Amino acid sequence: MTITESKKEKDLGFFVRNQSIVVPIVAIFVAFVLGGILISLQGVNPLVAYRAIFSEAWFDSDGLLRTFQKTTPLVLAGLAVTVALRIGLFNIGAQGQLISAALASALAGIYITNLPPILHVIVSLVCGVVVGALWAAIAGLLKAYRGVHEVISTIMLNSIAVGILDYLVSNPFREPDQSLQRTKKIAESAILPNFGVIPFGFILAILVCLLVSWMLNRTTAGFRFNTVGKNKFAASYAGINMKLMIVTGMLLSGGLAGLGGAIETLGITYRFEPAFNSGLGFDGITIALLARSNPLATIPAAILVGTLRAGGASLQFNTGIEPEIVDVLLAITLLLVSAPILAKFLFKGKAQKTANVTSGWGS
Amino acid sequence: MLDFISDNKKSLITLGLVTVIAYVFYFLDEIRTTSVLVFGWGYAVPLVLAAMVGIIGERSGVVNIGIEGQMLMSAFAGFFGSVFTGSIYLGMIIGILTGVLMGAFLAVAAVKWEMDQIIAGVVINIVAAGLTSFFYAQGKTLPELMPVVSIPLLSDIPLIGPVFFRNGLFALSTLFIVVAVNYALFKTRWGLRSRSVGEYPSAADAAGINVTRVRMMNVTLAGALAGCAGAFLALEAAGTFARGLTAGRGFLALAIMIFGAWNPMGALAAALFFGLSTAIASQLQADEVINIPQQFVNLLPFVMTLIVLSIAVGRVRPPAAAGQPYTKEG
Amino acid sequence: MKRMRTLAGISILALVLAACSSGTTDTAAETTAAALDDSNCAAAESFCVGLVTDIGKVDDKSFNQSAWEGAQAAAAEVGGFAKYIETTDTKDYAANMKQFTDKSYDVIVTVGFLMAEASVAAAKENPNTKFIGVDQFQAEEVANLTGLIFPEDQAGYAAGYLAGLLTKTNKLGQVLGLEIAPVQKFAKGFEAGATAANAAVKVTTVYHPPADNGFGDPVWGAAEAKKQLSQGADIIFGAGGGTGNGALIEIAKAEGAGTSIFCIGVDTDQWGTVPEAQPCLVTSAMKGLVEGTSDLVKAAFDGSIKGGNFNGTTGLADYHDLAAAVSADIQAKVAEIVAGLKDGSIMTGVTL
Repeated sequence: MTITESKKEKDLGFFVRNQSIVVPIVAIFVAFVLGGILISLQGVNPLVAYRAIFSEAWFDSDGLLRTFQKTTPLVLAGLAVTVALRIGLFNIGAQGQLISAALASALAGIYITNLPPILHVIVSLVCGVVVGALWAAIAGLLKAYRGVHEVISTIMLNSIAVGILDYLVSNPFREPDQSLQRTKKIAESAILPNFGVIPFGFILAILVCLLVSWMLNRTTAGFRFNTVGKNKFAASYAGINMKLMIVTGMLLSGGLAGLGGAIETLGITYRFEPAFNSGLGFDGITIALLARSNPLATIPAAILVGTLRAGGASLQFNTGIEPEIVDVLLAITLLLVSAPILAKFLFKGKAQKTANVTSGWGS
Repeated sequence: MLDFISDNKKSLITLGLVTVIAYVFYFLDEIRTTSVLVFGWGYAVPLVLAAMVGIIGERSGVVNIGIEGQMLMSAFAGFFGSVFTGSIYLGMIIGILTGVLMGAFLAVAAVKWEMDQIIAGVVINIVAAGLTSFFYAQGKTLPELMPVVSIPLLSDIPLIGPVFFRNGLFALSTLFIVVAVNYALFKTRWGLRSRSVGEYPSAADAAGINVTRVRMMNVTLAGALAGCAGAFLALEAAGTFARGLTAGRGFLALAIMIFGAWNPMGALAAALFFGLSTAIASQLQADEVINIPQQFVNLLPFVMTLIVLSIAVGRVRPPAAAGQPYTKEG
Repeated sequence: MKRMRTLAGISILALVLAACSSGTTDTAAETTAAALDDSNCAAAESFCVGLVTDIGKVDDKSFNQSAWEGAQAAAAEVGGFAKYIETTDTKDYAANMKQFTDKSYDVIVTVGFLMAEASVAAAKENPNTKFIGVDQFQAEEVANLTGLIFPEDQAGYAAGYLAGLLTKTNKLGQVLGLEIAPVQKFAKGFEAGATAANAAVKVTTVYHPPADNGFGDPVWGAAEAKKQLSQGADIIFGAGGGTGNGALIEIAKAEGAGTSIFCIGVDTDQWGTVPEAQPCLVTSAMKGLVEGTSDLVKAAFDGSIKGGNFNGTTGLADYHDLAAAVSADIQAKVAEIVAGLKDGSIMTGVTL
């Protein structure tokens, strides 16, 4: 009896120590229970509904490929938002950066010819990253030198990007004799391959994620980022060049979002069309918040979102439940992960106080 | 009155300048100018109301990024409330109360639970988008039309009259709401307390102000204005509900709020500026006066905003404690 | 720990309750033909129809809804089964079709011209399944894929012709969704028809700015319609999903709606789909989406369907209650134009 008691204590201690992992798992579970009630109100057995999602997203080879494909840009968009948050910038513009990059890499894939395959892929990816970074840098420069708030400028830049891209694919870069507004298909040599069910882009995204995590936690540059994010005035006194940090931060953030867009084009869509990629940048905000600005945590967060989105069609096919239920599930999860109620309920006094991931408007 | 003028010099100069230009155009082309202005003000109304929500929240130290979701829920509730009660007035009330409810949610999450404010807002947006889309039922129509009311005398003024004083109930109230919020924020005890809570909560606390209570109350009540904005969209502007009806206006309102330097009058000027450039863009497309693709014409408001901000406004400062939960020491 | 247990207990209870309350209703909610389901689509005697919507919902009061109604009606008529999937991401077209092909559906209807390429690919991969591509022009023939296409410019032309004859102010307006091919064809047809009827007429054409919600922004549609009305337009063509519907609803509120101010709907007879617009809705520039889809699904059932393109019909909807506002003379002239467009004696001259 006493042995089991103390063992229990030990188990509990383990849970308390690792509550940053326990809380999200319980949160997802509770979200699924609440979502299940909503589903059963529609006259469908929730277990059947969830089985439909997961058997499609994880246990079907096409479905699994799609889960990874959907996860990839989410990891990168989530990282983009995370990196900016680390220095107190709120990049709502990941969407604009991502779509500009998607077009840029498509153009590189179409109009640059005579390159060997691997080099062509690299060049096209770089084009995307550079364009994404530059588009974000506009907001960075406006912030650093003109004091224009990044929330305004990135919202405006999102709309401006949509307009310019719409023009570009309607006119100069439109596929000839095509009533759709879209570019031509990229050259074979620019295509990012899949290794079985794992797209190359996914591997790339994971590597980049590890790299960013290492950079933020283990390097001087990362230390500067965190210092600026925690206390601007201290950073400024410590001799950190704030203007440079802001512009660099936005460049990095935009580059990451841009990589997401480039991988979409080169690995999935093979061309640019305005209807592609809608909403990915905004999902990035959700991911970053689910991951609480921890770069490594963006991977599981993105996998969760990618899974639910990939399984949405199967859900509707098998149960008639509308795919919007996915957003409801995500919202409940996000609420429970971030609101302290769940942690307090589980661990009472031992609950860790969650630090703010965002520092206000970071002016 | 003099205070009011000196406090809002920039906004008033902008508004005055716009008025003068508008009247010049009015004498050149009465019909076009009036209708462009009507479009512009109609576009600005939800932005102004939503910006007030943001201003009240941030002035008292709470960042509200969930305005979009608050509006969407209110639009949804206002529309279906009207449908099921059979009265557009009851629908208006239901819409506004939904806004208050959403405000209360943000207040509890951000102030009481000390949850990260931006996350709390994002949660509201996602929940609202998911729920309104999931539960939307097509084929319902409003039981009656939003009445158009003309204010006597004022509505007879050329140009300004038909634009501001001959409108549905929400659009009609908006100007007065802005002036009232402005007055309350800067000239009343409530305003002083709120601002001190947003600027320097520990000092406010020391002076005996209950920081938590002020914040809770302000964020909750501001929700009513988000309710107005949402109900305006569904009941007055569109006369119907559609999924994603708010279409990013809540985010645009944040930009308007910052553009207007966290000032009600400034936000009004900014929203008018934005509404007018949108209206002008659509008029340019309609008239085909200049031969440029419509995609570029439609970029006008966004580009103009960036240019104006980077040239004229420069550095604006948010309330110092916006975004930071306040925990009483000891 | 106790709390953890409580939580787990509550959750499990909720799950069990949820599972019990719903019982065995784990099959699709979208059943149409009563007795059938899709468990046995491969069998010769069962006939299964699947429909994949474009981005947007099956209740969009516009083309997704019409195509679904057509598919449903046809399936019911031949004793078959119909089900749909709503696309939420353009990259999922293929995956959504695959849901149906995996279950050996007999016919798959794909709605919207954005899906054209995905339909061709899926048709080539599944030669035993019949595909019907709504709004999808087939440049080369695939034996098991039929593109249901419509001369939108003709419907626009007829509507424009009516408007040209009906206008008192000689000013017409168009409130449109995004500037993409089907919308442009309607709009240019409308302009051509209006000018053919009345050389003095001036048409104002405004497209929604590029955005994700170009076809779902009733607020913008209403504001734009209001602006055009006050600038003297007395007949406005609202074409663009929810955006156009917003315009129609706004015009219906105007003073003189139904006597001096009119609106014209698009795609389906919007008298039924947007009842708010009835005070001003004189007609709609229709695409025979319901009949076209239904005819093709039935042709797939009896085996008479052919690959390539199938020309659906376009035309004007009934005048309904506003017939009195359109003089017999005008009605006759418009009927003549509609007939002329149909037999090819009148060309719209619209090219994209």
